[in-house]
Amino acid sequence: MSDATVSRPVRFRAATEESPATRWTLIAVAVVGLGILVFAPLVTVFVMALADGVVASLESLTHKDAREAIRLTLTIAAISVPLNAIFGVAAAWFITKFDFRGKAFLITLIDLPFSVSPVVAGLCIVLMFGTNSLVGGWLVAQGYPIVFAMPGIILATMFVTFPFVARELIPVMIEQGRAEEEAALTLGAGGWRVFWTVTLPNIRWALLYGVLLCNARAMGEFGAVAVVSGKIRGQTATIPTTIEMLYQEYLSVAAFTLAAVLALLALVTLVLKTLLELRHADELAATHRH
Amino acid sequence: MKGPVIHRSPMPGLGLSMGITITMLSLVVLLPIGALLMKGANYGLAGIWETVNRERVWTALFLSFRLSLFAATLNLVFGVLLAWVLVRYRFPGRRILDAAVDLPFALPTAVAGIALTALYAPKGAFGQLAAEIGWKIAYTQWGIFIALVFVGLPFVARTVQPVIEEIEREVEEASATLGASRLHTIRHVILPMLLPAALTGFALALARAVGEYGSVIFIAGNIPLVTEIAPLLIIIQLEEFNYDAAAAIGIAMLLISFAMLLLINLIQVWSRRRIGYV
Repeated sequence: MSDATVSRPVRFRAATEESPATRWTLIAVAVVGLGILVFAPLVTVFVMALADGVVASLESLTHKDAREAIRLTLTIAAISVPLNAIFGVAAAWFITKFDFRGKAFLITLIDLPFSVSPVVAGLCIVLMFGTNSLVGGWLVAQGYPIVFAMPGIILATMFVTFPFVARELIPVMIEQGRAEEEAALTLGAGGWRVFWTVTLPNIRWALLYGVLLCNARAMGEFGAVAVVSGKIRGQTATIPTTIEMLYQEYLSVAAFTLAAVLALLALVTLVLKTLLELRHADELAATHRH
Repeated sequence: MKGPVIHRSPMPGLGLSMGITITMLSLVVLLPIGALLMKGANYGLAGIWETVNRERVWTALFLSFRLSLFAATLNLVFGVLLAWVLVRYRFPGRRILDAAVDLPFALPTAVAGIALTALYAPKGAFGQLAAEIGWKIAYTQWGIFIALVFVGLPFVARTVQPVIEEIEREVEEASATLGASRLHTIRHVILPMLLPAALTGFALALARAVGEYGSVIFIAGNIPLVTEIAPLLIIIQLEEFNYDAAAAIGIAMLLISFAMLLLINLIQVWSRRRIGYV
């Protein structure tokens, strides 16, 4: 008897799988790549923020400029995000509940801000509402300056976050069709009642998802806001523009502490986003787009 | 055969939803872009050309475009790999990795900018390592490249992931039973299916990178003719209240954006015709 009989069963590999060596190499490349590109900068933010200890970082947050910046950023988000949510719902309703010519073109126009550089977006608003422009000059004369003031920052923020809610809602509402709303209408419900009791419950998670992404971008927008705000300390300096000013004054701890605040916001956004994707995958566009 | 512009519908809220949509779209997006184009029209084609046709502007535009192209190409390769690993393999920490892909979308650009600079500056953790082999990253074009790779990272992975999820195993099994090696199957069966989505992601990453400002200016060093990106030129002109020149460069960048948008649409049309889905 030969002792060459197989002592342990040969493990067969399915023909549709890569060899374990290939698989683990690819996983390693992905992990190392993301580690260098994404995790390292994230960790750096917190390491730099805590370079002089927790007390120093917390103290820098209580500084007047930092407090004012946080207040301004929260105000801007509180105004621009709901406005964009209203736009998103209205646009999605208009596009998915009615048939009209030029629909694809309208969707392209709504998506336009995503492909325009934030700096160009800011420039557009300066040219539209700046003191030298027709509209802006008149508004300044009436005592309502737009550029280098809060309204300009809100407009710039709305420009760059404009498509977020609409583009999340449109695919979801296309998929859901109009049958439920039509049923409610035949049963005698009014327009608003149909919206509140039929449509909104169907789209609430998608709406929340869109608002979440819109908010993260609104609070973190830098390029467009830097152009229109004039970065006046304590008046028109948002968190991102204050980070730039502090950084250029070599106030590293203060700059990175504010940056850490925004990084925490980004992390919370990602966690909530992941939770939404896990719990309500079938009601979101992002998780089953084609 | 042309129907009416808007079909009659029993749905309520036509006036309200259309009113809000058109009004806000005009006020926030269309009128400001129109103002830029108007400014350009007043300035005249000759004026725009004179502003753009200067060494500093050409260099910046070319630099932005070239580095964006390199960064988007790296994102294309790494993004497809990432999507494959995240969809097909099961390993501890996969969910965290999956969520981390979106971090460049969620992290504000200014935060990414100063973090990357701190990391790759000569005294930073990675900068020191690079300096030992005489490689300077921050304040050179390498720094811009890395920042652009960072901001463009999610696009390809996120467009390719759903496509990989939809590939039916039967296709791969058929290929294997016909005697193809795994490598052959991946090259001739799987990758062609991923190509349209990957190219869409590539174009999106490219468009984003060309216009990127916040994450780049900190690490770039902003030396004229060497590491000066196109969006920065607009800011410089604005700070000198030179609105005409700013508008001219802005229009040049807007045209690049439109060309990119057209490219993305063409890719989608082409892929729909070729395999029936995007």
